[in-house]
Amino acid sequence: MKIRVLVQIGLALLLLLGASGGAAAAEMLKAVASFSILGDMVRQVGGDRVDVVSLVKPDADAHVFSPTPADAKTLAGADLFFVNGLGFEGWMERLEKSSGFKGKTVVVSKGIKPLTMEEEEGHHHGEEADHDHDDHAKDEHDHDDHAKADHHDEHEVTDPHAWQDLANGKIYVTNIRDGLIAADPEGKAVYQANAAKYLDDLAKEEIAVKAAIDSLPEGRRKIITSHDAFVYFGAAYGLEIIAPEGVSTESEASAQDVAKIIRQIKEENILAVFLENVADHRLLDQIARETGAKIGGTLYSDALSGPDGPAPTYLDMFRHNIGVLTAALSS
Amino acid sequence: MPNREPAISFHDLTLGYDRHPAVHHITGEVPRGELLAIVGPNGAGKSTLLKGIIGELAPLGGSLDLDGLKKSDIAYLPQQIEIDRLFPISVFDCVAMGLWREIGAWRGVDAKGNGEVARALARVGLQDLADRPVGALSGGQFQRVLFARLLLQDAAIILLDEPFRAVDNKTVDDLIALILTWHAEGRTVLAALHDIDQVRAHFPATLLLAREVVAWGETRKVLTPANFAKSRQLVEAFDEHAEVCERDESQRERQPA
Amino acid sequence: MIDAIIGPFIEFAFMRRALVGCLALSLGAPPIGVFLMLRRMSLMGDAMSHAILPGAAIGYLLAGLSLFAMSLGGFAAGLAVALAAGLVARSTILREDASLAAFYLVSLALGVLIVSVRGSNIDLLHVLFGTVLALDDAAIILLAAISTFSLAVLAAIYRPLVLECFDPQFLRSASALSSPTHLTFLVLVVLNLVAGFQALGTLMAVGIMLLPAIAARFWANDISGMIVVAVLIAFGASLSGLLLSYYANLPTGPAIVLLCGISYLLSILLGTRGGLVWSLLPRKHLEA
Repeated sequence: MKIRVLVQIGLALLLLLGASGGAAAAEMLKAVASFSILGDMVRQVGGDRVDVVSLVKPDADAHVFSPTPADAKTLAGADLFFVNGLGFEGWMERLEKSSGFKGKTVVVSKGIKPLTMEEEEGHHHGEEADHDHDDHAKDEHDHDDHAKADHHDEHEVTDPHAWQDLANGKIYVTNIRDGLIAADPEGKAVYQANAAKYLDDLAKEEIAVKAAIDSLPEGRRKIITSHDAFVYFGAAYGLEIIAPEGVSTESEASAQDVAKIIRQIKEENILAVFLENVADHRLLDQIARETGAKIGGTLYSDALSGPDGPAPTYLDMFRHNIGVLTAALSS
Repeated sequence: MPNREPAISFHDLTLGYDRHPAVHHITGEVPRGELLAIVGPNGAGKSTLLKGIIGELAPLGGSLDLDGLKKSDIAYLPQQIEIDRLFPISVFDCVAMGLWREIGAWRGVDAKGNGEVARALARVGLQDLADRPVGALSGGQFQRVLFARLLLQDAAIILLDEPFRAVDNKTVDDLIALILTWHAEGRTVLAALHDIDQVRAHFPATLLLAREVVAWGETRKVLTPANFAKSRQLVEAFDEHAEVCERDESQRERQPA
Repeated sequence: MIDAIIGPFIEFAFMRRALVGCLALSLGAPPIGVFLMLRRMSLMGDAMSHAILPGAAIGYLLAGLSLFAMSLGGFAAGLAVALAAGLVARSTILREDASLAAFYLVSLALGVLIVSVRGSNIDLLHVLFGTVLALDDAAIILLAAISTFSLAVLAAIYRPLVLECFDPQFLRSASALSSPTHLTFLVLVVLNLVAGFQALGTLMAVGIMLLPAIAARFWANDISGMIVVAVLIAFGASLSGLLLSYYANLPTGPAIVLLCGISYLLSILLGTRGGLVWSLLPRKHLEA
């Protein structure tokens, strides 16, 4: 009789151990994110359950990224592939095909309202945006009309940098969460908890960003930077973005673009130009030299910094950018 | 004939490409002031021999002596393969290159030099074409230009490789007259030629070459049917599987003049 | 009208700098382009833009995104490729084009390897190549210095260089300058190209070097004439290209090169030496 009880307790203990050990030893989900910002977000939601690798590393330019066989190998072994969509990753389909990826691709921007931009040559965001920009923060629907401005012959392109608006960032997080749950239902509780906390952090940051921009004097809410990575940011928080290079770092500026920016800086007394961590800043240096505007600092647009840098996570990116902006624009 | 000092001496000279000899075991001397025709069937190695003298080819065996003269004392007229006829250069400037020995790479052509160029052009009958681009000239006219350049080079040894190929008769006559003038001036002239009648008419000495020396000496003694027959036999294609040549140096000698 | 032409340059410093940079490049590069064309090395410019990669990559590995380090490395790599190709062409049966193709491909592959192994995804070449609108003082001084140096060296090796192109055998027999001349010329080519890449981007650097020279072929019958015409075309295209970029909102580099291209097409048709239009029109021949 005693022995039987002992054996029963022993078996029960074994079962418990097995179960918990099993749970601990459950394989981590393998996820690949297309670029460092997404990689960070997936890590925040996935926690210990997910092993994330970013294809486009910190401080690297996704616009000119070209996948290598090593990348294909990484993707081939993954369960989930998180991409931005909106045309950001031109190489995506090719990589999926060539790697033989059998997992699920999650387009994290699903459900956001995209903004469109004119293509590089016809583009100058500064001028015609003036009148409309205040409406922007209130009503995103009209942006399509706005973009079809006075320019004949422009070519509309969806602006992919949607993550620069924290409201969109929240949608990204929910898509990531749902994607993880679909692939790993057992972790549902963990993912939901992580996501909820992260969304909370994002909401807090949103308030901070809005407050920071609102604290700037009215006439100061304009910035010059190398390419239009911040349109969503500007639209959401009331900042005007002026850039000679259009939507992508690959394009080449025209003399007219540069001349317009310089005139505008001089006329409107814009104080600072902002460099980016993924672009060649010589053109901005030139503009700063000619107008006397100072270099306000480096903004993080398409990529995070390395772990020792000022913007190693998505939230840090916003904090850093806000810091740089307010420092330069409020003085 | 008085024994003149040699201008060029060959010592068991073998020249060729990629270890295959085009001419081999050439031994002999060209006296100073000689007017020597080099004849032989196609593939006999005439061009190769001239290239060896000017130093374009390094010997595969044996040696070659210029007996005190330098490479800059030799003027060489090749078969024009490497010249870019479409190059935008005027007749005058092309001829003026002949002054290289005096003015080198950097000194300008002064009035004296200009005069020399003009005189050279006149001697070949091209004084009116001085400003033409060389691309606008006929084959014969261009050959005259090259001869004018040779005139300016004022060289002790002149090598001519088939100078009359594809050239009109009038030009040939004029240029032969020029060659005879050089001979009279005491220069050593070697000319590879294909027209045997020209050789008989103007050249006192001849080297009949068929990859080796067939006959070398006074023209009428060299240009015999027997020698021609022998030369045709000797000219053969490169042998892909040729063995290393072990022939002795003493076998081939210049025939007494 | 004059106002429309001069206006932008008076108003904007960056336009003035761009013009000065173009002037420097228009003086130094087209003469070299004339010789490249005459020596049938016209495709060398493009090959060079790839050949410099391993040098730029090593510069990046050692010094990060320092334009100076990368340009220096690029120059060293370009020089190595050009000189190696030149030497191989002169001492083996290979011709210049084959040996250059071989070396630049090896160099490019090496460059891609170095960049990939290091793991970074920065498009190095993209960073290395600049735009004419972004010239700072250092870049202008560099362009001007290289231009001056090029012209001086070109003047010094002019005669042997002409001979090298026209009758290399004669040069070989007359002096020992054949190889040094050729190699010096290659150094000038690489120098102008790398400086041009860094300041202006590949398209403009190669374009201004070659297109005006090629167009000039139809206007002059001797080299000095060609050089003068080429320089004028280059400068004219630069000026109008900048104005076009300003008034018609076109990217600057391509605008300038396209204008060079248009002058090339016009030259083919209307050039006084061999222009097609003249050969198609019935004309009486001259007396002699």
